[in-house]
Amino acid sequence: MAPTYNIAMVSDFFFPQPGGIESHIYQLSTKLRDRGHKVIVVTHAYEGRTGVRYLTNGIKVYHVPFLVIYRSASFPTVFSFFPVFRNIMLRERIDIVHGHASLSSLCHEAIFHARTMGLRTVYTDHSLFGFADAASIMANKLLKFSLSDVDHVICVSHTCKENTVLRASLDPLMVSVIPNAVVAENFKPLHSRPEVSANSFGHNPPPVRQLGPHDTITIVVISRLFYNKGTDLLTAAIPRIIQNHPNTRFIIAGSGPKAIDLEQMIEQNVLQDRVEMLGPVRHEEVRDVMVRGHIYLHPSLTEAFGTVIVEAASCGLYVVCTQVGGIPEVLPSHMTVFAKPEEDDLVAATGKAIAALRANKVRTELFHEQVKTMYSWTNVAMRTERVYNGISGAISEAEFYGYDAANAASWSATRGRSGVQSFALIDRLKRYYGCGIWAGKLFCICVIVDYLLFVFLELWFPREKIDICPDWPRKTINEQKETVKDARSRW
Amino acid sequence: MAPPSGLHQSAIPTDFETLPLPLPLPLPGLIRSSTAPVTSNNSITSAAAAAASSRRPDPSSRLLVPGDALVSASASPPRRLGGGFESGGNGSGNESRPRRHRQHKDASRSRSRRRKRFQKLLWVKQSYPDNYTDQATFLENLQRNPRVQPYDFWPLIADSTVILQHVCSVIIFVVCFVGIFQERVSPVSVVGWGSFATFIGWLLWDWWVTQEESHRDSADGAISRVGSMRGPPAFRTRRHDTGGPGLPAALGVSTTSISSTSNFPSAASSTSNLLQPAAHLGQYGGSSTTSVGGLLSPGHAHSKSASSVHSAASQTSLTGSAAGVSRSGTGGGETTRGASRFRDDSPSRGGRVYLRVGTIKSAMLIYFTLLGLSPILKSLTRSTSSDSIWAISFWLLAINIFFFDYSGTWVGVHKVSVASLSTNAALMASTVLASRLPSTGQVFSLTLFSIEVFGLFPVFRRYARHRSWRYHVALTVLLVLGAGAGVGMILGDERGWPWKKGLLGMVVACLISAVAMGGCSWWLIGLQKYKNEIYGPWDPARPIIISRRHWDDE
Repeated sequence: MAPTYNIAMVSDFFFPQPGGIESHIYQLSTKLRDRGHKVIVVTHAYEGRTGVRYLTNGIKVYHVPFLVIYRSASFPTVFSFFPVFRNIMLRERIDIVHGHASLSSLCHEAIFHARTMGLRTVYTDHSLFGFADAASIMANKLLKFSLSDVDHVICVSHTCKENTVLRASLDPLMVSVIPNAVVAENFKPLHSRPEVSANSFGHNPPPVRQLGPHDTITIVVISRLFYNKGTDLLTAAIPRIIQNHPNTRFIIAGSGPKAIDLEQMIEQNVLQDRVEMLGPVRHEEVRDVMVRGHIYLHPSLTEAFGTVIVEAASCGLYVVCTQVGGIPEVLPSHMTVFAKPEEDDLVAATGKAIAALRANKVRTELFHEQVKTMYSWTNVAMRTERVYNGISGAISEAEFYGYDAANAASWSATRGRSGVQSFALIDRLKRYYGCGIWAGKLFCICVIVDYLLFVFLELWFPREKIDICPDWPRKTINEQKETVKDARSRW
Repeated sequence: MAPPSGLHQSAIPTDFETLPLPLPLPLPGLIRSSTAPVTSNNSITSAAAAAASSRRPDPSSRLLVPGDALVSASASPPRRLGGGFESGGNGSGNESRPRRHRQHKDASRSRSRRRKRFQKLLWVKQSYPDNYTDQATFLENLQRNPRVQPYDFWPLIADSTVILQHVCSVIIFVVCFVGIFQERVSPVSVVGWGSFATFIGWLLWDWWVTQEESHRDSADGAISRVGSMRGPPAFRTRRHDTGGPGLPAALGVSTTSISSTSNFPSAASSTSNLLQPAAHLGQYGGSSTTSVGGLLSPGHAHSKSASSVHSAASQTSLTGSAAGVSRSGTGGGETTRGASRFRDDSPSRGGRVYLRVGTIKSAMLIYFTLLGLSPILKSLTRSTSSDSIWAISFWLLAINIFFFDYSGTWVGVHKVSVASLSTNAALMASTVLASRLPSTGQVFSLTLFSIEVFGLFPVFRRYARHRSWRYHVALTVLLVLGAGAGVGMILGDERGWPWKKGLLGMVVACLISAVAMGGCSWWLIGLQKYKNEIYGPWDPARPIIISRRHWDDE
């Protein structure tokens, strides 16, 4: 019988705000619930969304009142979150605190306090940061603070892992790469064959849509129109692509400060009939926009994972994307054409994609099924569960980290990430002290203050006085056999 | 910086082999350090380390994890560095020792060889755990200091002369103030020599601009009109400030532009260039004195917005206007460009001579305005104690030095970028200093001198540097000697022979400047070894967009 955990997902970013991290947390929580765990989500209060809420599948959401400063990131107060956090953790009998997103101060504080309370912590990083500018240096220092004592880190791509390891000076073995996933059912191509016929009849059905040499090819772009999404590249490339390929048109969805540049470009080149700008679209409508096109163009300049290109491929679009960040890891080469982040190369890559589509070389109608087997939230939840097992000692350290780690408890007082990750204050102080000459001492002071606060809270609000809230009925894992088999097949 | 320290402590293989860290590198088991190519500190990629590790002699060895950089026996299993760097860099050395003894026990346990190669892909179902760290590919795209250009000593020295020049001119100003304040130097002689030097400088400038224009004429056939409108516009600014302080600048701007339009339609048509400080100052004048405005209108029309910006920027009327003066001075030849631009429309209206007359008028205007203002300035800070004034002027001059535009990027005679904060601070300092002086004549002299030093002189210096390196060096030497002599004379007692002190000051100044320039340059070069820039695939890409170049050219 696999152990089940009480898991608290903590992040500033959650519904009702739309976004990638938000849906990641929700999907992961749902699938973890399906696997028999108890999941609660702690986020800050949004307008019109306060108190405790239940979502589908029995996910409980705590909206903690907190001051929001910028783009729904809460104001970083190191200690003020502790009382209510402790209350929630005790009330829900949480074992594992799982924080999301590096810009969420709520997440970092939760990890910090959870370690003080003696809980296991996991952190998921969704973004990439540079090292050059002052803001990044500051953010990296804070990340180092928060991750000095974390049990395990999950990154969404290998590039993201390298980045996080460098930023927070982590041991690479305590960083797992678990990609995002897509709900493939929500991103079906337009002419998707019925499932039954695909299974029972011919394995090699004829391509659904044959593109003639003069059919119009529609190129879809869905992104927020910001600088780092590569809108400048797009603005420069569109006129040239249209000039080179007469029977093409563009559909651009999304809004942002660079939208005006695109509009200017359209007017300057008189492309109103070739480029359609839809403005902002809701996430549910993304699929409806995508299926109108043949090619998805993704000119982003930095991207940790790029869920949207997976969604596009799932909709049966041929993907043209810049080779930045984690994007090259995401899709197999037969679904994508990569370009350097240069105008010329982007135009050339798009030309190549158009030519390949016109020659009917690309079996885009197969993409959906392929993507479905590549990415699923069930798989993500399973792999995340392995991380939980590893840090809470359910699977042995040797298995989790590698062979040598089994007898490693002897060689370091502070290590022992998994079963023996020490909660002793002095060991935690040792970990924080190594963060830097000045920062290390500052962090140690923070840890001590936090510990004193914890002692005070234990005295003032004793654990016995905090009600234990009844659990939502848990699901039992009925597909356990299948799970085990699947897990075996993976490693 | 966070990344370097993180690098030292984290498990990047390259660090341990190439950086001179206090790590137990000379351990007997260290194979990698002997096989790894010794690369320089710059631009190491861990690919080199990976290549080195793949050449390891033991055939049964699997790929390494970065933790093996510390232990690095042939068959060391994957292991973690956690404690080593978590407890700080100093702990890693000690902790690595006991691990060595365990290697032999685990040597038999090599990873199964039937596995597929690890791929850095997310869509493949890999037979590796999620936290597997592949030695060969982990951080393979990490670049360190890829774009660093090392400094050279002598170019650095040469560049630092700009700073030296400015510091020296500030020192000279302070020396002059002290001289006037202690009544050692007659204010008339200070301002007389200063104005004489300014006049010489202007003549030189005029000559240079003429030369340049004639060069350009030969190139593109432009008729040059040298206009250095130094004086008049600034003067008019002042009058505007004093006469109607409440008058919104915008009003003045609009009236001027209208008047200039009526007088010279051509001028109004060439309003594209907004960076023409000299010209826009005329607009104030246009609002108050139409005659002058009419005369100078070629310069007016260009920069409505610039002037409004300027007026918004100048908060104190005094300093603001003074800054204006400086800008007008900097303008020197700025109108030239305006003139040459609209020469097609407005054929020669006296050309350069006309602009020279304008300049002289401006100078007269400044002169008389300052004369009128001096009694007011004299009693400006009477209620403030001298200590506060010294402190304030010290900080203002420090601001002037630190925020001065040393870049020296030459954008042309007509576009002179002036660091407005710096200039404003200097002129404010001179104003408060002047308000300490007892007589009107002294106040007038010091203020005029400060305008010359902080407003006009930097522009001249910059142009001189642009013209010829020789002029620049000569000017630097002169300034250093002057500053040294001045300080020497001020510090010496009054009775002694001042020239001896002056000579001593010169020598000391030369020594100090040489030591400071050399020392700072050497220090800066020495600090470069701490430079550690990390680049990798996580950095936002820099898009290369070709068509943008065309837009910029327009």
